[in-house]
Formats: sequence, structure tokens, C-alpha cells
Amino acid sequence: MEKKMFRQYLLLVIPGLVIFTIGLIVPLFLSVRYSVTSWDGMSVEKPFIGLKNYIDLFHDKEFIDAWWFTIKFTIGNTIIQNVLALLFAVALDSGIRAQKIYRTALFVPCLVSALIVGFVWLKMFSNVLPAINDFLGTKFNFLLFGSSDTVLSGLLIANNWQWVGYWMLIYLAGLQSVPAELHEAARVDGANAVQRFFHVTIPMLAPAITICVVGITTGSLKVYDLLVSSTKGGPGRASTSVIYQTYTTAINGRQYGYGSAMTVTLVLALLLVAMLQVNTLRKKEVQM
Amino acid sequence: MKKKLLCTCMAAAMAVSSFGCLTMTAAAEEEPVTLTVLAGQSTTDAGIEDMIDEALAEAYPNITLEWECVDWGNDFQPKMQQYMQSGLPDIMIGKAQDVATYAPQGILAEIGSEYLDAGLDAARENVTIDGKTYGLVYNALYQGVYYNKAMFEENGWEIPTTQDELQAIIDDCNEKGITPFASHMVDTWSIGNVTMQFMMNDVFNNDPTWGDKFRAGEVSFSDSEEAQTAYNYNKLIYDNTYEDTFSLEQTDCDARMVLGEAAMKVSGSWSIQNFLDIDENFDFGIFPFPNQTGDSKLIFEPNITIMTSASTEHQDAVNKVLEVLTTNKDLAVEIYDYTKTASMLKDVTPTFANPSQEDIDKYAADGMIVDVTLGNNQLVWGGFQEENAKDIAAWLQGDATFEDALAASDGRVDASSAG
Repeated sequence: MEKKMFRQYLLLVIPGLVIFTIGLIVPLFLSVRYSVTSWDGMSVEKPFIGLKNYIDLFHDKEFIDAWWFTIKFTIGNTIIQNVLALLFAVALDSGIRAQKIYRTALFVPCLVSALIVGFVWLKMFSNVLPAINDFLGTKFNFLLFGSSDTVLSGLLIANNWQWVGYWMLIYLAGLQSVPAELHEAARVDGANAVQRFFHVTIPMLAPAITICVVGITTGSLKVYDLLVSSTKGGPGRASTSVIYQTYTTAINGRQYGYGSAMTVTLVLALLLVAMLQVNTLRKKEVQM
Repeated sequence: MKKKLLCTCMAAAMAVSSFGCLTMTAAAEEEPVTLTVLAGQSTTDAGIEDMIDEALAEAYPNITLEWECVDWGNDFQPKMQQYMQSGLPDIMIGKAQDVATYAPQGILAEIGSEYLDAGLDAARENVTIDGKTYGLVYNALYQGVYYNKAMFEENGWEIPTTQDELQAIIDDCNEKGITPFASHMVDTWSIGNVTMQFMMNDVFNNDPTWGDKFRAGEVSFSDSEEAQTAYNYNKLIYDNTYEDTFSLEQTDCDARMVLGEAAMKVSGSWSIQNFLDIDENFDFGIFPFPNQTGDSKLIFEPNITIMTSASTEHQDAVNKVLEVLTTNKDLAVEIYDYTKTASMLKDVTPTFANPSQEDIDKYAADGMIVDVTLGNNQLVWGGFQEENAKDIAAWLQGDATFEDALAASDGRVDASSAG
């Protein structure tokens, strides 16, 4: 019986495993292989150069700057998106009127491609909002993508606009699964709304928090498509993420080997961050 | 009698088999062929694929082109790299400078002289390697400073040939509240483009092998006064353009130029399409950006360049496409009129009214035109010029020093050549 079950499981798992292996595992191993070569992506020869690419990465100012931007973008996103998503979820869980309309309105942007979102916000910051400025006679600086000082803020606005609704739904599902008796018991014990939120709701939401924090962090570390259609990594290099830098180095710069080394470091960083977050946050989860 | 009958039967059999062979040959000729085409397009080119399809369907209905149109600046090179691993398309459309990148890899086929002969001689020079021509140059762009003719006349400005004369116009503009230069630096490619224009007139016109010397370590951006001058012109533009240039896209920028908000724009023929779409009566001219020695030349860029795969299985069909492109003059005029570009085919002249043509003709007559492919082959676009443009933008934004930008250009010397 067990053998039969095992065969059935195997049958279900194999198609996914094959696709995953061909699409992700094999290219990853190829990247590791290319990362120790000076291959230009075009020639037949792939000269072996050992760890030179990895050593060069530590002295590459552009790569370090790209990491610095990516880290700032990730931290900003993780904090803002989690807080906003949770607040919206709590608001929508409180029984306000027309909550389905709000839920839909907040969720719709995540159905749009990040490329479109980038383009939409480029037009918003460059044309639409300045036109409103002119109409109202106000002087707000909406040209956020036009300066290295403000480009990060502009990208955080665009990215949060797109994804807050998605993570809100996860929090909303978590909130709706918190047993009403726990709130009732806390209320009987004299806890006010704020105390109930921090001592009942938040601990019960820990699994959802784990999913959201890990999801937002890894998603932000991989930001690329939003940048392609909005800032193209600029002005200058002010919004160049690690993946953007990797792409331009490997493909446009014909340094496939060096770009592969960048990819390997990014994958390692992603794994490390995800493992740290999952281990830390799992410990805080409450088992019912 | 028997012999006669046998002879008749044999003759009939031969006639039938010959007819069959002929029919089969005709059928084989008309067999449908689908050719794959990778088209790296400039902003002006999108749409010409339909014109080519239509002309080809009329001449050779059995040949179908399967187009993959991508942005030349961002996506042509990545696509080529991808196809070099998996198999090239039958036809590739890029720019003349692509020949220097891909021909040495042995992947491009030589273009037949019967097609090349339809083009101007000037079109061959920079697509020929070791005596073999690998690209068919179809049209050309001109680059320089587009200027508002009416504004120049009203203010009594003469065409500047020196930096001092240009500065005088800039000063007058600023006094009168006119923005001297229209620019859209949100598009980093535009910074890269104008920088090469500056490099052509201040560096390559004096030393056509500057790039080779750069790679040999004989010159560098940090040491070369001429190269630094070329970089510094970007600051001149930045200090005398719209405040929101880093948020402004090309269409909006061109619109402002047409509406009289700016006097000049360092650009190329790709702006003409916008100028005339916004106002078909907009009167503009072109002059080369003045260099330090006052002998600047107007920049000429062979643009649409057709390359074919050395490993295509449909060489006959590919040749027929080349034949249509080089012999169908109506198609050529339609494409030139649509893209607002100059012809590189003999005896074919676009019919659209180009207000800057008068200036172009004057510079051509004086021999003051230079092919930018020289500069683009010496210092390649992908991985070098476009990366340098990002550093220049960072410098203009105050995020890096001028020395940082120069050092960064020196640092990527290995990426400066296609080889």
C-alpha cells in the first residue's frame, strides 16, 4: 500500500521536478561553471580563470553600489509593504462598508505586469502629477525619477502601489482565521483594542508574517522589470539593482563569465536571507 | 511496325517525364518558405516590416517573413547572443556597426555584389571586413544640432562654427528666457549618442585610431584633453537645458522644441519624425556641434543594415528578399518617407519635405560630413558607450566627480572593442 502511495506521489511530483530542474537547477549549475571563466557569451572558447571573477566583484564599485541600492530598496519595501498591508487588512477586517470594492481596488495593481507599472509611474511622475501641480498652482516636486536623491522614493511608491493589495489578502486570510474566542477571552480579561492587537492578533498572524516578510524580501532583492520601464537604472546608476547590473554586464557588456559570478552571489544571498528570516520568524509562530 | 510503336511509346514517356519534371521544378520554386527575421529597430523604424511584407507578397507570394522586432539599443545584442547559441535567424537587421561585432565570429554571410551595387559606395566602407561585405546599408541618419530656423532669424543668430559663437547664442537665449538646448536625459542613450557626436569632432576627426591607442594604453580618458572636452560638452548642455531633463522623454522634449520653448537640440534624424508629426510646418535646420578647432563635420550614420546568416537553409529566398529591397524603388521611397531618413540606394530619393536637407546638401557639397561608424567601431556602443553615458549622467547629477567618470571609462577598456 505504501509503495503504491509512493508511486502515486512520485508520479505527481515528477513533472514539476523535471521542469524545475531544467528551468532552474541546470542553469544554476551552468552559471556556477561560467562564473569561473572569462566567456564573452559569443565565442566558442570559455577560458578558465579560477576565482578571479569573484575576487574582482569585491573591488567593483558599480556592483557594490548596485547591492547598496538593492538593500535599501529591499528594507524600504519590507517595512512599508508589511505595515501597509497589515493596516489595510485590519481595516478591511473591521466590517467597514463596501469592503469588497476596497479589496478589489487594492488588489488589481498586482495583476498588472511590473513593466506596465513602471511605465505608468514614469508618466505619473513626469506628466500627470506635474500637470495637476500646474492646475492647482502648487509646487510639489513630483519628478521623483529625475533625481538620484528621490528615485528610491519614487520606486518604493510604485512598487508598494503594486504589491500592497496582494500581501494584504494574505494578512486578511490570517486575520479571518484567528478564533473569535481568543479576542473574547482577552476582552473578558480586560485587554483593550491595542493590547488585543499586539498580544492576540500579531502572535496569531506569525505564519502570515513569515510568508509576507520572506516573499517581499526575496521579491525586492530580485527587482528588475520595474526598473527597465521606469528609470533604466538611472539617473546615472542611482537605481541600478543587482539583477540590472548583472544583465547589463553579462549581456550588453559581453562579460558572461563575470555576470555569472554576480548571479551566483545573488543566489547565495537570497538563500541566506530567506533561511535567516524563516528560522527567526518560525520561532515566533504560535502553534494552536 | 513494332519498332515504330516502341519509339512512339518511348518518346511519349520521355515527354511525359519531362513535363513532370518541369511541373515539379515549378512546384518546388513556389514551395512556401518562411524566413525568420530579427529586426533591431530604432524608434523611427517600427512599422516598416509591414511595408516590406506587402512588397514581398506581391513579388514572391511564397515567401513569408516571420518578424521579431526589438529595440536595437536594449535588446538586439542580447537577442543575437541568444541566437548565436541556438541558431541564427535567416535575416538580421541592425546597424552598420553590428557588422564589426558579428562578422568576425563567422556567422554572417557575404552579401552578393548584385545587391550591393544598388547601394551607394559610401554605404560599403564600414560594413566591409577583409574585402568582404557583410551588410547591406539601406538608409542613413544625420546627427548634429537641430535648430529652430525662425527663432534664429528673429534673433539674428548665425550658424555657429566655434565654441565662442555657440556660447554667444546660449548667452542670448538665457537673457531672453529661451531654453538654449532641448534634451531628454532620462534616456541615457541620448547622452551616449551626443557624447559620440562630440568625440567624433574633437577626437576621431583628428585621430581615427584613438580607440586602438586607448586599448594599447597610449591614450586614456583621464589624460586626453580632447576626450575630456567631449565629455565636458555634456555639462554645457545640462547647464543650458530644461530643469526636468532627467524626467523628460524624447517625444515631450521634441514637442517643446517644436512649440518654440528651446532653440536647439543635439540629436539625429530620429527627431524629424516627431518634429513633423507635431507640426508639419515646423522649419528647422541642422549644423554640426562646434568643436575646439572650428572645423566640425556633420555626422552621418548608416542605419538600417541588413545582414544574413551564413548558415541559412533558404539562401535563394533570402536573396529574393534582398532583391526586393534593392530593386523596389516604391518600397524604398515609402520607407524613407515614413522613417524620415536619407536613401542609401542609388537613384532613390525620399519625397518627404525635409527642411534640414538644404543644410545637409551644403555640408555634403563642402565635404564636411563624417561617418560615425568609425567612432562606433573604435569604441563600441554595447558595454562601453552606453555604460560611459551612465557615469556621465551620475557626474551631471552630482553623484560622481568628473574624474570618477573618466576613470570609469578607462576602467572598462576591455569592453571598448567588439573583438
